[in-house]
Amino acid sequence: MVEYHRNPLTELTSSSQLKTCIVGIGGAGGSVLDRITMDRTVDATLVSMHTDIRVLSHSMSPVKIQLGVELMRGVGAGGDPELGREAAMYSREQIRTAIEGHDIIFICVGLGGGTGSGAAPVVAEIAKSTGALVFLTATMPFSFEGKRRLSQAEDALKQLQNRTDALILFENNRMGELTLPKDGIQKAFVQADQLIAQSLRAVSTIVTTPGLVKLGLDDLTSALSTSNGRCLFGFGEARGQNRGSEALKRALKSPLIDQGRLLHQTKTLLVHIAGGDSLTLIEVDSIMKQLGKNVPDQTHILFGVAVDQKLGDSISVTLISSLGLTQLNTIAAAAPPSEMLPLKERTMPSMLSTVAAKPAPQPKPAPAPEPMEMLFGNEELSQPEPQVAEAEQPDIFEEEAFTPEPEPVVIEDEVQIEEPLFEEATPEEEEEPVAYVAPEPEPEPEPVKPIVRPRIEDFIQTTTTRSNTNLASVVARAPAPQPTPVAEEEAPYAPPLNSVAGKKLAVSAQEEQIAFRFGGDEDRGRFKNTEPALAGGEDLDVPTWMRLRRKVKK
Amino acid sequence: MAKSTIYAGLEIGTSKICVVIGEAKRDGTIKILGVGTAPSRGVRKGEIIDFAKVQTCLNDALVRAEEPSDVMIRTVFLGVSGGHIESMNSRGAWRLPEDQSEITEDDVEESKEIARNVPISQDNVFLHSVTRQYIVDGQEGVRHPIGREGRILEADYHIIHGLRGRIQNAVKCVREIPLEVEDVVFTAIAAAQVVLNRDAKAQGSLMIDIGGGTADYVLYEDGMIAASGCVPLGGDHITQDIAMALQIPHHRAEDVKVTEGSCLFDDIPPDEMLRIEDDNGFVLGEIERAFLNEVIYLRTREILEQVKDRCQDHISRLAAGVYLTGGTSLMKGIGVVAQDVFERKVTRAGSAPVSGVTATFENPQFSAPIGLIRYAQILDQEKPFMSPLKRLGRKMADLLSVIVL
Repeated sequence: MVEYHRNPLTELTSSSQLKTCIVGIGGAGGSVLDRITMDRTVDATLVSMHTDIRVLSHSMSPVKIQLGVELMRGVGAGGDPELGREAAMYSREQIRTAIEGHDIIFICVGLGGGTGSGAAPVVAEIAKSTGALVFLTATMPFSFEGKRRLSQAEDALKQLQNRTDALILFENNRMGELTLPKDGIQKAFVQADQLIAQSLRAVSTIVTTPGLVKLGLDDLTSALSTSNGRCLFGFGEARGQNRGSEALKRALKSPLIDQGRLLHQTKTLLVHIAGGDSLTLIEVDSIMKQLGKNVPDQTHILFGVAVDQKLGDSISVTLISSLGLTQLNTIAAAAPPSEMLPLKERTMPSMLSTVAAKPAPQPKPAPAPEPMEMLFGNEELSQPEPQVAEAEQPDIFEEEAFTPEPEPVVIEDEVQIEEPLFEEATPEEEEEPVAYVAPEPEPEPEPVKPIVRPRIEDFIQTTTTRSNTNLASVVARAPAPQPTPVAEEEAPYAPPLNSVAGKKLAVSAQEEQIAFRFGGDEDRGRFKNTEPALAGGEDLDVPTWMRLRRKVKK
Repeated sequence: MAKSTIYAGLEIGTSKICVVIGEAKRDGTIKILGVGTAPSRGVRKGEIIDFAKVQTCLNDALVRAEEPSDVMIRTVFLGVSGGHIESMNSRGAWRLPEDQSEITEDDVEESKEIARNVPISQDNVFLHSVTRQYIVDGQEGVRHPIGREGRILEADYHIIHGLRGRIQNAVKCVREIPLEVEDVVFTAIAAAQVVLNRDAKAQGSLMIDIGGGTADYVLYEDGMIAASGCVPLGGDHITQDIAMALQIPHHRAEDVKVTEGSCLFDDIPPDEMLRIEDDNGFVLGEIERAFLNEVIYLRTREILEQVKDRCQDHISRLAAGVYLTGGTSLMKGIGVVAQDVFERKVTRAGSAPVSGVTATFENPQFSAPIGLIRYAQILDQEKPFMSPLKRLGRKMADLLSVIVL
């Protein structure tokens, strides 16, 4: 469908050009990669990695690596970063061959899950060991995905920060701002992918394409230099009248820049303006002037201009900068501060040891697997497979085998207890109203006639005893003339019903029970088929006086 | 001669369906040409549950309104209500570009866009988004920000939204008559246009339109709408309470409520009896009047308290007090109960005076449909004036486009 086959060998021969490689790891990384493949905008080798063979087979990228074939057997990591890491370890030779020989390696990953969080540090380390410049674009999970995922993501991020040259971090929570609230969730994800793809495209084109005012790798690294920083990225493209300021406006609107507010804090800002042949000096000048107002004077602006035929009559503006975490946290409270999150003690020490071991093998690509081996050795090579095979599967079966048995027993018991109670209650309930009421189920016009007389007298008896007349009066007087036998009160469910049924309502006992079973639907009268109007845990469609009475009973 | 336009307001209420035809003159006055009402069937708590019945009743009402006014109605302003209607206030802040200090129309649009961009449920649809005010650099209460100097422009919006399906059903029901729906209006907003005058809005007032199935309210503060909504309780619930307490059929309970009912039971001697008759005039029995009134009182109080709960934050700032309108506001003694609940001045009000043959509609029952006409008039005033020639041109273009299609 999408023809994007390129032979990596031909690239290697053209030594003048920088060779880039984009690696997508896990589900999120894969979808970004797909987006890039479809846009066909980036001149790079695309490598997609996943543990799940089904997801991988749908990927559009030309090079696919199934992580941990023997370990995972084509199944996803199931949200466990440990598994993801093990899987990457198994496939490290494959990874190395795929990404070797590139000058820049971009890694796209969605942190928080199993494959992404687990495999990304491994891939980053391998990439680093090939001597390439490693950029990472990562998405942090949505806050609704839970604390656990977030802490996994933060852990992975910590590990990645030491293994990459620059980190472009996208908070999924902020991504929500990209889309209108009414837009579908799919669109939200597509837009998030698009933004990431844009950033990758922008960075790779800035570095690789020849420009009038060239920006090089050095500029890029200095713009992203803050060691523990997060990337601010804005990209805007516009055409037509006023395209310059329009493109800048869009770039500033990027959620990562927070409407341009975050730019006030930056020390270094990389600006890249690209346009077709029609790009004029005045346009560039006005863009830079406008931008200058968003940025403090002392900011070091790294400026680049490129003419790219592909852009036609549109102008694109790219802003890249980085902020230290502390700065970021003070400005945008929305970003979850990573320091505050508890670190997972299990994973951290082992990774730290690799970090310590890393600098030595780094220049030489060959011995690099050794620290991996060490890492690997810690976890004990032989363990994972039997663990997965033995420990997990029996567990599931055992649970399934055991749980169903006790449960039905309990339920049956409960039912057995409940039912007799009801039956006991009914004869007692019926005794009383039967004296007055014929057991019609519905209080409709005709049947009411013969019964009415005694009941109205009932009212009189009860109402005359009343002297105070405030809201509480009904409440107060309700329990006093209560003729219900004590035995009924002891039945767990009967009291509220009896109190209502027994005296005024004169609804037959049978009906009461029906009403009770259907959550008092009968009391809702003509509103019984409508949506209940609930407030404060009460159904307002039930007559006020009836509810008051019940409250008193309880 | 003042130019005038004829509008029709339609309210499908729980107790009655009401069509009001009115002539809105360009000088701001309204002349009522005809009013048609028909008892409503198939509506519960302000929401249509039986299309066919509603359409029959609607036809009745329509004929009754058209006859005296001698007008054929093609389009109506439809008033909607129901417990699904919710509201919120939203602010959108827009930071002006750095090189610009004067607020332009684009900036206003931008801030509006941001303010309107509120997360509402996928199933919901916006009914109204009313500009409350603009805030320029923290200075509140700006009505016309264009041309002002400022750095940050905020648009303050009151947004009313409801379930898309319910609203569309109401529209669909009317379209099948066939009538074209020109606009869908939340009834409380419509009623407030004629019940509350400018002073009342400026001082702060709460209007509650207690109808058959719902109690719709709008709260104004400093001339701006501050809260609005709908409590799905109304006169129908009072009737039901009576019917269930006295064990009499619903329509008898309705009669008793209207003729004998009151929310006051303090001063009624405990032995004062009320005869309940059935349809044929036979006496079913006697009940104590105080008991009846207490049942009514409890429910009425609950309705008002529910409204109060929902605009608790604003209650202390109501200088002009509470305005009660709608059919249930005719209940005897409701003013006293409202006074007790809100501890504010309570006014029972119908529509502001309008002229016309049937000028007696200061009856609070007709606040909402008359309000619909006023609403239509206000909308029209906001539109740019079009000369008759232009209008003709527009119409011809419409016709042509139909033919071409």
